[in-house]
Amino acid sequence: MATVLQEPKIWAKELLLNGCQAVAQGVKLADVDVIAAYPIRPYTEVMDALSKIIADGELDSEYIVADSEHSQFEIVKHASSVGARAFAGSSGTGWMYGFEALVVTATDRLSPLFLVGNRALDDPGAFGVEHNDALSIRDMGWLLCWASTAQEALEHVLIGYRIAEDNRVRMPMALAMDGAFLTHSQHMVKLPTQEAVRRFLPPYDLGKRVMHPDNPVSIAPQVNEDWVMELRRQNWEAARRAKDVVAQAYKEYNEIFGSRYTTPYFDEFMTEDAEVVLIGLGAVAMPARTAVRRLREKGKKVGYVNLRWFRPFPSEELRAALGRIKAVGVIDRDFAHGSPDSGGIVVHDIRSCLYPLTNRPAIANFIGGLGGRDISIDDCIRMFEVTSQAPNRAPGDELVTWIGLRE
Amino acid sequence: MIKRVEVNYRGIFQKNLGKYIGSDIVMIASRMGKVAFSNGRYSDSPERNGIPCKYFAFVSPDLSEEELEAECGAKLDIDEADVSVVLDETMVKGVEPWGWHGVRPINEKVREKGCLLVVARHPHDELLEFIGKKPYHYRLATLDGDASLAGLWVNKDDLTRERVLGAIAAVDPGIISIEAVEAHLLEKTKDEHRAQAARDAYNATLHRIKLVAPGEGIDWPHEVPVLPKWHEFEEGGVVVPAVKRGFELGPRGQTRNDAFKRGTTKTHRPVVRFDLCIKCTLCWLDCPDECFDPTDDGLYDVNYEVCVGCHKCAAVCPVPECIVMVDELKFHDDSSPWEAHKRNPAEYIKWAEEKKGTVRLNYPHVTGTGYEVTEGKTVPPKTTAASGTKAGSQA
Amino acid sequence: MATQLPVVDYEKIKNVHTTPLEEFYTSGHRTCQGCESAMVMRDFAKATGPRTVVTGATGCMYVANTSYLTTPWVVPWMHTQLGAGGSSAVGMAAGLRALMRKGRIPNEKINVINFSGDLGAADMGIGGISGALQTDYDLLIIMYDNESAANTDIQATGSTTYGAQTTFTPPGSKHRIMHRRWKKNIAPMLAVGHPTCRYVATASATFPALDFMNKVRKALAIGGPTFIHTFDPCPKGWDFHPKYSRELGEVGVKSGIFPLYEIIDGQVVYTYDARKKGRIPVREYLEKQGRFAHLIDEDVDHIQRMVDAMWNEWEVPGVAPFKAGLAVATT
Repeated sequence: MATVLQEPKIWAKELLLNGCQAVAQGVKLADVDVIAAYPIRPYTEVMDALSKIIADGELDSEYIVADSEHSQFEIVKHASSVGARAFAGSSGTGWMYGFEALVVTATDRLSPLFLVGNRALDDPGAFGVEHNDALSIRDMGWLLCWASTAQEALEHVLIGYRIAEDNRVRMPMALAMDGAFLTHSQHMVKLPTQEAVRRFLPPYDLGKRVMHPDNPVSIAPQVNEDWVMELRRQNWEAARRAKDVVAQAYKEYNEIFGSRYTTPYFDEFMTEDAEVVLIGLGAVAMPARTAVRRLREKGKKVGYVNLRWFRPFPSEELRAALGRIKAVGVIDRDFAHGSPDSGGIVVHDIRSCLYPLTNRPAIANFIGGLGGRDISIDDCIRMFEVTSQAPNRAPGDELVTWIGLRE
Repeated sequence: MIKRVEVNYRGIFQKNLGKYIGSDIVMIASRMGKVAFSNGRYSDSPERNGIPCKYFAFVSPDLSEEELEAECGAKLDIDEADVSVVLDETMVKGVEPWGWHGVRPINEKVREKGCLLVVARHPHDELLEFIGKKPYHYRLATLDGDASLAGLWVNKDDLTRERVLGAIAAVDPGIISIEAVEAHLLEKTKDEHRAQAARDAYNATLHRIKLVAPGEGIDWPHEVPVLPKWHEFEEGGVVVPAVKRGFELGPRGQTRNDAFKRGTTKTHRPVVRFDLCIKCTLCWLDCPDECFDPTDDGLYDVNYEVCVGCHKCAAVCPVPECIVMVDELKFHDDSSPWEAHKRNPAEYIKWAEEKKGTVRLNYPHVTGTGYEVTEGKTVPPKTTAASGTKAGSQA
Repeated sequence: MATQLPVVDYEKIKNVHTTPLEEFYTSGHRTCQGCESAMVMRDFAKATGPRTVVTGATGCMYVANTSYLTTPWVVPWMHTQLGAGGSSAVGMAAGLRALMRKGRIPNEKINVINFSGDLGAADMGIGGISGALQTDYDLLIIMYDNESAANTDIQATGSTTYGAQTTFTPPGSKHRIMHRRWKKNIAPMLAVGHPTCRYVATASATFPALDFMNKVRKALAIGGPTFIHTFDPCPKGWDFHPKYSRELGEVGVKSGIFPLYEIIDGQVVYTYDARKKGRIPVREYLEKQGRFAHLIDEDVDHIQRMVDAMWNEWEVPGVAPFKAGLAVATT
């Protein structure tokens, strides 16, 4: 009698989850060992969800309600140092309050994962999304990526730990998502089976860097000018190596879970023959892609690039994707006051990345959606129009257009 | 042309003195129409009591301030010195300010025909018993005096500062002239005797300069570490192996940090009369540097490689003359005193008493207020129980 | 002759002759000559033994102890940020507990210790330590108190003795005393505020002998989150010759300016009862330090009056600054 080889089951079930709850399910599937919580909107709902998951016995994890973000981040940093998989998160000024701990988590080369529910920085207090909080760590030796759907959010907890803990990388991972838009909007989300997750995500193994009496080490002794350059160079190397590890992680993710991600670093939408392309981070992808569809119906050659990974930054890949485009409009849901041409943060990296190309695209920059203001489909259509005029701009003309501002 | 002065001093005890001398050189050179500035070696800060540290002064008759700063500013260390001043003569045994520096010769930076100027009680030849040889001629000058030790808040105004300035003028008038030193001190302090102290030191030093020939001095016994390239050491989170665990009774029985011993911190070392020991344990128990090794006969050997000479063991020892702090330059090696005592107690006691002599320095609580010299006594060997086997009752 | 390497037990060390011989914090650090805080390091490591993990908050006992690629630590040690003493201990304890429960590392008792200086523990990190003392993890936080930011060349902290000269509080021609804050009463503050914390103590590393080591062992034996505040005369910042560092601790305790006690399940136990033994004048403590050289008689008298009040007027003498009697507010 012939035996029928049963394919291992990949997907367990489908649940209605918002972005935070989806991340909580990812944390559960990753069998995280230590979680430290501190409340701030909008990320905080992930901790609401996780605490219930733990209370119900669905996840075996140490769960600590900390006294501040600084303590919260230090707790997971040190939990990570003893070899525990650790999770925390924050938003807005909370993220900034713990910033010192974020810096050293990277230089200690530890691999906890943090959810950043993007939120405007005070003052005045505002709950809505802005990307300045997460972007603040872009130069500190972190992995930084944006999820733009709840499904992606869950999956990037698994992908994030996989990359962060890889011994070629060993960097902390920030998974950002747009506060309110993604953190709090509910969608049907498919949950992978624990068995499939186990195949994808090996246990955290710090090897000879672990803090344990059986492995006596001294971690981060004082240095002076004789050492710092070499240490920074090591971290630089790790950040460079992370590029390949990211690609490999997506490849294996696709092998196990089916081809969900065409490219690891960003998703291209109708860019094949596009002449004008917008690029942005996070939930703005929804109105932008809808605008692309509508403009395509009118015969406009437009497309959208949803940038997922900001660190490591996909320089070669973006050059290949955007090098043939006439005009690129960069959407910044952030600000960089006083920066070159008073642009946002993202535009500087993209413009700098494209600079070596001989026929580089014209660049337009949009600052919009600050503090949680929505970016509408019409806003996106307008951005395409402005961008299409960018090749005609004279040197000295404004780079930046504010979108959605009361003028 | 640039003249470089390096002031080697004991951390904290001479921190203010070292800085004052650097500042004075700048002000005196400036009044001579030269361009000058001074700085400390930043990695020496924060300083620790006794740790060898450096302060620098740079003087040029012809460079702009910017060029002088570009040549000399903000470096980890200077490449060469026209004058290396040493404010505590025991530093001639070498200096080890940080773990990765290794034990460096005190004359490492002295250039050809330059001068090593030491505030000293010992003559040139005795100092040269500790100083590494150079491939070229240089000068060794001494300024008669004790290491002027003070604290952070209460300074010691014992004219060392003025005298060192006079001596620098004597060994290299191209840096500062004695006339400018005198004029500066007079103008600043209105104290005739300060200018006079500088002039006296100047005159005395002129007669205490020895030309050191190439190859004169010792073969330097310490290796200077070569720092690894960025890809040659463990990557990832600045992780360093701990000291390997290990303990057994006897000399060097405790494992220690092999890469940084810092015995060069000490000005005095404890000499122990093991025959007088009552085994109270206090020297071992209260040592902040873990330098006493318990032995199988209940005594405590001293590991001089790691002893920093804090005097604490001598202070807590309840037995008079059992532990006495002795001038570090009286010793040429760091071998185990307990082993010497075991080999031949009578000879060891004789040796120890010779080293101890009769001069006892008594530091007051506040270091900068000076010290008293008293006479110690020679205690005869304690009967036949040479290694103090049953001395516990004699407290 | 090799001896058996002992592992930690929580037995009281009865006398100096039975003190463990092996070091777990050993020679080759960069602390000052006569450093009492180095004694705190050495003694807690000796008392806890090898099954220990340690974090050290930024401070002089961080910067002075390690210099890169070399370390004096035998037990695992890791740097933590200035204000992260409490949270670093919580993180390690939580991680170890989770890994043991899940069978990923052997189940055993591992001592989790953090040391933080007074700037780290009493000022910046007090919130994190408070958070740690509310948990149910076994951890010990040691605040080594040299009454200054000693790593930045001696600045005043909330734990500096009134009147002391520091680089932030120099005496001047108009203001003789720039440091006018009374020393923060950190141990009772933590004990009072955390009723489930079972052990809080003060100690001096070298006086009385073995007292500190035994308090470390008692803290670990009692378990849960615990806290010890040590009194560390600092030859550098207090400006006294290093030979006197033990004596300064003794004189400080005997003058009553630094009371020694344990608070075990709310019960105060004096480990040096300055009331019964008679306090020596605070002047004898102050005059031995250059940092007080600028004080005049009325300053010394003020400090003496404050110390007298601690012992004579406080409801719990030397510990808690409440006054006796229950006044009832009338409206």
